[in-house]
Amino acid sequence: MSAPEKPARILAIDDEERIRRALKSILSARKYEVVLAASGDEGIDRAIDASPDLVILDLTLPDRSGLEVCRELRTWLAAPILVLSVRSGETDKISALDEGADDYLTKPFSAGELLARIRALLRRASGSSASDPVIEAGDLTIDIARRRALRNEEEIKLTRTEFDILAFLAQNAGRVVTSKQLLQTVWGEEYGEDTQTLRVHIGHLRRKIEPHPSVPQYILTEPGVGYRFAFPSAS
Amino acid sequence: VNASPTKIWLRSFAVALLSVVLATALFWLIRRYLGKGHAALLYLPVVVFAASAGGTRAGHLAAALSFLAWNFFFLSPYGTFIIKDPKDWISLFVFLLVGTAMGVQTGRLQEREREALEREEEAALLYRLSAQMTSQTDTPALAKTLLEEALRLAGAQQTALFLPDRDDRLRIYAQAGAVPDDERVESLRSVADRSCREMKAVGLPAPDGALERIGEQWPISVPWDRFASDEDEIRGVLLPLQATQRSEGALYVGVAPENDPISPRVARFLVSLSYLAAAILERQRLQAEAAQSEALREADRLKSTFVSSVSHELKTPLSSISATVSNLLEGDVEWKPELLKEELSSIGDDLTRLNESIGHLVDLSRLEAGAWEPKRDRYEFGEILGTALSLFSSRDRRRISLAVPDDLPVLCVDFQQIARALQNLIENALLYSPAGVSVGAAALDGSLEIWVEDEGPGIPPPDRERIFEKFYRGSAAGTPSGTGLGLAIAREIVRYHGGRIRVEDRKPRGSRFVFSLPCPPDAKETVR
Repeated sequence: MSAPEKPARILAIDDEERIRRALKSILSARKYEVVLAASGDEGIDRAIDASPDLVILDLTLPDRSGLEVCRELRTWLAAPILVLSVRSGETDKISALDEGADDYLTKPFSAGELLARIRALLRRASGSSASDPVIEAGDLTIDIARRRALRNEEEIKLTRTEFDILAFLAQNAGRVVTSKQLLQTVWGEEYGEDTQTLRVHIGHLRRKIEPHPSVPQYILTEPGVGYRFAFPSAS
Repeated sequence: VNASPTKIWLRSFAVALLSVVLATALFWLIRRYLGKGHAALLYLPVVVFAASAGGTRAGHLAAALSFLAWNFFFLSPYGTFIIKDPKDWISLFVFLLVGTAMGVQTGRLQEREREALEREEEAALLYRLSAQMTSQTDTPALAKTLLEEALRLAGAQQTALFLPDRDDRLRIYAQAGAVPDDERVESLRSVADRSCREMKAVGLPAPDGALERIGEQWPISVPWDRFASDEDEIRGVLLPLQATQRSEGALYVGVAPENDPISPRVARFLVSLSYLAAAILERQRLQAEAAQSEALREADRLKSTFVSSVSHELKTPLSSISATVSNLLEGDVEWKPELLKEELSSIGDDLTRLNESIGHLVDLSRLEAGAWEPKRDRYEFGEILGTALSLFSSRDRRRISLAVPDDLPVLCVDFQQIARALQNLIENALLYSPAGVSVGAAALDGSLEIWVEDEGPGIPPPDRERIFEKFYRGSAAGTPSGTGLGLAIAREIVRYHGGRIRVEDRKPRGSRFVFSLPCPPDAKETVR
């Protein structure tokens, strides 16, 4: 984060009092403005009143399903939604992404992970990702402005599509990017369904950029969802 | 196999009449060469023939008919039954006596022989059936064989097997042939109930429409091992399946009204069949009960191991956290920031361990409850491994070397589950191996073999099967702590996918965990 700006307002919807307390403590300490809600209905009311810059949404709520809340918020709210789920709720996680959530975090999570996700989401929402012209990850350098990718200073020959995929993934590094998002960004709005084509291109890309192409470490598969660009040194 | 008493009578009569008429005609033609006594001698073989062809009854009849024919045609005055010469009286009655005796003897011999043949056939048939039925390990297959054989042997219209349900109420378990309507099933069921309770075979005069007469003339209830009787025209029969301990159920066989009733022979055979079925059903029931009680004992044992392991696994990090936190809160010591940080990071480690234990417990209970059905899709092994590896710290990842070739066949698996299995195997290997860990895969006719190798102390042979059991820890000293669930989860997942997992010894040291996953038939084309 650069110049001092108005602190982002974050709405946290979780029925667990302990989690709300922890979220408030973590976020307030980082100068975020925190609004809390303990149920789905309350969450929607708070979202209307407070117009948050980001929503943290727990998927298991007492009054209605988190998925429903996510869908309803998405109909009018532009702010990113970060979903919290438990380990056994993988299907919910995938459905939430389908319903328009932007990322997910599995409980229990660390403050570091939470903050990293929040920062990435806010940065993307403010459209400032383009201001990062060169992305470095391990031995890879991705020069967005010059449309070049280098491995150990050596240029990798990529097709236009491959570079677009790589750039989009790298700009969202650490986050899950759904196949639909990738297809729509790289090919256009009408290409949301052709995951097989995407798979083929991802395969080619992996062979070009991965140090061990058969076991990818940069472009990871998120089953049923899409892909995630990982920094090899992360976690 | 089937013949009614009336038919047997008719047949005997026909054989006797025909042989005597033909013989008489022949003797009449050659009468001029015959003396008075010759006819008697010649009629004796006829009686013997009739008895051997038609049985005792035919013998009797032939003797009587020959007596009359001799008298009528060959004793003067011819053409009458009048006997003039008193010596002829003697000859005639001696003939009748000898003829009857020979007929009886021959008939008996012949009947015994036929009976012996029949018994032999029955024995052979029963032997074949028993071999066929005892080889059936499950009740549906046994029921199918039993009902179809009974249907065929009795020339029946329908057969049904009644077995007790969970509430010990008899129900139709399976049937063959024509399907009876509901009302009929209900009345048959009540007769089956009675048949089992009183341990009696119940004969019904007709396969349908006669059940309302229960308690009057019908059904014929006899002690069930003496069910077969010549006199009763039985077209339906309910046999209790009597085993050593109790009645295992009942067999119903019904013959169509236009067909012959059930013969004593068939009845006897059905009785043998029901004994056999009862013995096999009893064996199956006892085996199932034994397996169930074994499973219950095992569940009990696991439950107690579970409680002690879980409480240990959850309480150890919890007590450590509790001690550390209370120490920090005590207030008698001024904690320096770096010391505080150290204490907090130790709490963090405990929490990681706690989270891991709970994660393993959740995984295992989901797998065991069948609440984690694999959602299969086509993936390359490498992408699954890549995602699994991304969950390890970079320090751990540097200890993992890879041997994954480029051209592996594609898998059709649940990504999350296989990633979890790999993660558990790698975690286990890292825990035991001070040096590196190697993960690899190779195609092996129709399946993919995947291995995780470590350079740890190895696993002694007696432990190699048991380490995949829940909460089992190696018997060797210095075993690191873990939930004891990681390998059990890996095994469950591999099993869900139709694969097998095993552990091998590595030379000079270490272990190699290997599992195989079947590849889809068209796996050659990769997803790339």
